[in-house]
Amino acid sequence: MNAGGPARDWVVAVSFPLVMIALGCATPPRPRELDTYEALRKGANIQDASKRAPDLVASSEKLGTRASEEWQSNDLEESRRDALLAQINLKTALALVEQDQLKGRIQSVSTEEGQAQEELAGLSKDLASETEKLTLLQKYLDARKNADAEKQQMTTEQQRLSQQLASEQKIAAAQIALRTADTVEAQRYAKTEYTAANDMLAKAQAELKQGDFAGAQASADVAKKDADHATEISKPLYEQAEQAGQNKARDEALASDASAVPGVTVRIERRGDLQRLVIAIPQLFAKRQPTISSGHESTLDALAALINKYPTYPVQVIGYTDNRGKASELLAVSAARAQSVYQALASRGVEARRMMASGLGGDEPIADNHAASGRAKNNRAEIVFLYH
Amino acid sequence: MRARPRRTLQAVVVAVGLVVSCFAHKAVAGEEDDLQRQIETQRSGVTDLERLDELKATTDEITLLRAWLDEAWSLRSKHEYDQVREVLDRCLKQADLIRAKITASKLRAQLQRHESTLADLRAKISATKKSLQETVTRKRVLEGGGQNSSAPGGVQ
Repeated sequence: MNAGGPARDWVVAVSFPLVMIALGCATPPRPRELDTYEALRKGANIQDASKRAPDLVASSEKLGTRASEEWQSNDLEESRRDALLAQINLKTALALVEQDQLKGRIQSVSTEEGQAQEELAGLSKDLASETEKLTLLQKYLDARKNADAEKQQMTTEQQRLSQQLASEQKIAAAQIALRTADTVEAQRYAKTEYTAANDMLAKAQAELKQGDFAGAQASADVAKKDADHATEISKPLYEQAEQAGQNKARDEALASDASAVPGVTVRIERRGDLQRLVIAIPQLFAKRQPTISSGHESTLDALAALINKYPTYPVQVIGYTDNRGKASELLAVSAARAQSVYQALASRGVEARRMMASGLGGDEPIADNHAASGRAKNNRAEIVFLYH
Repeated sequence: MRARPRRTLQAVVVAVGLVVSCFAHKAVAGEEDDLQRQIETQRSGVTDLERLDELKATTDEITLLRAWLDEAWSLRSKHEYDQVREVLDRCLKQADLIRAKITASKLRAQLQRHESTLADLRAKISATKKSLQETVTRKRVLEGGGQNSSAPGGVQ
């Protein structure tokens, strides 16, 4: 241990200054600015930069070289400054290159933009044109569709109206048929048919209201048929009843009017089916005379007016006598008397064809022939209205 | 006799020294003012550059420039005029770099706008082409349908 001690001290004494000298002679670390500059120089655009800004790049390289030398010479501060300047120059040159590149790209993109705008304008024009055509076509098709729909609707409506009209006409026809049936009192004389017709008519009206035109027409047809049938059944019965009523009224009127004729007596008789309104004109003739005594003109006028007032009645003019004398003579006188009255009435405007003149002699006396007054009454003429 | 000219020479030397010293002081003062003006001019230029840099593309470079101008000012205060000139020269070059970068950034933005417009246009072209194709197809379909029922006379 002791032997090695001085030797060790000697080594330390010698090596320490050597290390210090070596450290003093060693190259210092590269400045950061120089590294950055070197990194920039290795960039892709350095050749473009040389073309675009040769002065800047040359200056930069010169400064860079100098900075490197200064670093090698341990002039770190100088090296840093020059590296910084070199960096700035190179960056400026690169920025100018970038400017040129950007300008070029802007030019290119602007050209493409212009072309794209032209293309878009063309396409927009085509699209507008096609859209307009499409719109027109669509409008045309819509209009045609609407027209078809309207036409269809109109046809349907027309058919519906036609059906409705036909139904209404048939219902009206049924109503008329029913009113006609009413005129012959079908409700009374053909109750079943009339009720059926009324029911069917009501049904037809209901069906019409519901829009069931076919049903309404069918029901109306049935109603009309039933009404016609009711009319058919009722008409003769009604007419018969009507006629009877009319005849009765007329007969009554005739009887009333006949009673109002002065100088006559009136009676009504029934012989079989026939009714007889007998107007006796007493003391119209003198004894055995066939001619009409004077003073009876007003009676004859009234009788002629009465016969003309009721023109539908057939009229018999019958002459009578009392019972004194031969029957054949009495018949002749009575016939002559009837003829006289016939003539008198005809001369007063009564249609001759309506009258039948006949003489019955002393038959059918109206008073006692034993008395003079009775015989006078029996010498008479009778105007007989015949009816059922 | 010999002492008199010697005193005179001494006096002349002192006088000349005083004059030279005076001129030297004046020259140093003029250089300092000139450097100050240059620094101030460059500082106002930095403000202009900041205003010009609408896209904030050179913020770091401008910060560095400001730092260097401050450094120049500091060196001027220490009368390290050579170093001040070096720094100012670097500042000028840095300002050139900043201007170049600002121009590049504006061009880049312009390019982006153009590219965006172009992309929009291409998208519109694509959409328009599609619409046109659809319209033509639809028209053909309608024409087919129309012709099937009854062809329109004037419409094509």
